[in-house]
Amino acid sequence: MKRGWIGWSALAGLALLAVGTWIGLFVAPAERHMGDVQRIMYVHVPSAWIGMVCFTAAFVFAIVSLWSGRRVWDDRLVGAVEVGVVLNALLLVQGSIWGRATWGVWWDWDVRLTTSLVMLLLFAGVLALRRLADDEGRRASWSAVATIVGYVDVPLVYFCVRWWRSLHQVQSTPETVDPAMVLPLRLNAIGLLLVAIWMASRRARLEGARRIAESAAPPARVVSEEVARA
Amino acid sequence: MPEGVIVGGWSYVIAAYGITTTVLVLYVISLLKRAAVTAAEASDDH
Repeated sequence: MKRGWIGWSALAGLALLAVGTWIGLFVAPAERHMGDVQRIMYVHVPSAWIGMVCFTAAFVFAIVSLWSGRRVWDDRLVGAVEVGVVLNALLLVQGSIWGRATWGVWWDWDVRLTTSLVMLLLFAGVLALRRLADDEGRRASWSAVATIVGYVDVPLVYFCVRWWRSLHQVQSTPETVDPAMVLPLRLNAIGLLLVAIWMASRRARLEGARRIAESAAPPARVVSEEVARA
Repeated sequence: MPEGVIVGGWSYVIAAYGITTTVLVLYVISLLKRAAVTAAEASDDH
């Protein structure tokens, strides 16, 4: 099978993830207060960043899908939303584990945690909504509108820790973090981005193939009438 | 060890990395399987 540039970049992404994880686990220093638990950051923060990148891409695809009416943008929207949902779910699980170790609880109805959960439910809702529409055009327009509406929560997730009092810490910057911690964080973020692009493009291609197969197959009603006649 | 420092957090770290790796691998497997099923169905239709 011929591997395109997305496939090669995904392999490069896996290599970056392997190196970033190794440095994060065994080379970077333990944090002064959180100790080794802080090493969860090297997988938690990239999941958050790339999950939000996926939802942002889905938001753009939704606008283009509505504007152009071309189904390929709906395929891309599905790819971006589904990968974003997987990363968002991982984000919450990783955060919960970190919270148990540092705050002493698995979950708290803190503004960052709650808006992140709402983000997961909204975009999982987009995927669920698609199953309710049999018509291809309606499915695409419903998904696009739901994605645009759901995207309202994404900036809230990012900025809520600055706007409101939160148990969750505010975003760190390279100036406030030891350079030995910045490197694995960046390697993992770039690696996960490349892998996420591959996963989203595979999912988009799958959606396109399904759509073509669906439009080529006779409607279910015609098939059932033929079966009854036979 | 100064007061307030978390010690022995490796089990949490292993859990977080283990779950992340497992979920991503399972998702990729599901993607490949779904693609194979769709391709098989498409070839059946032709």
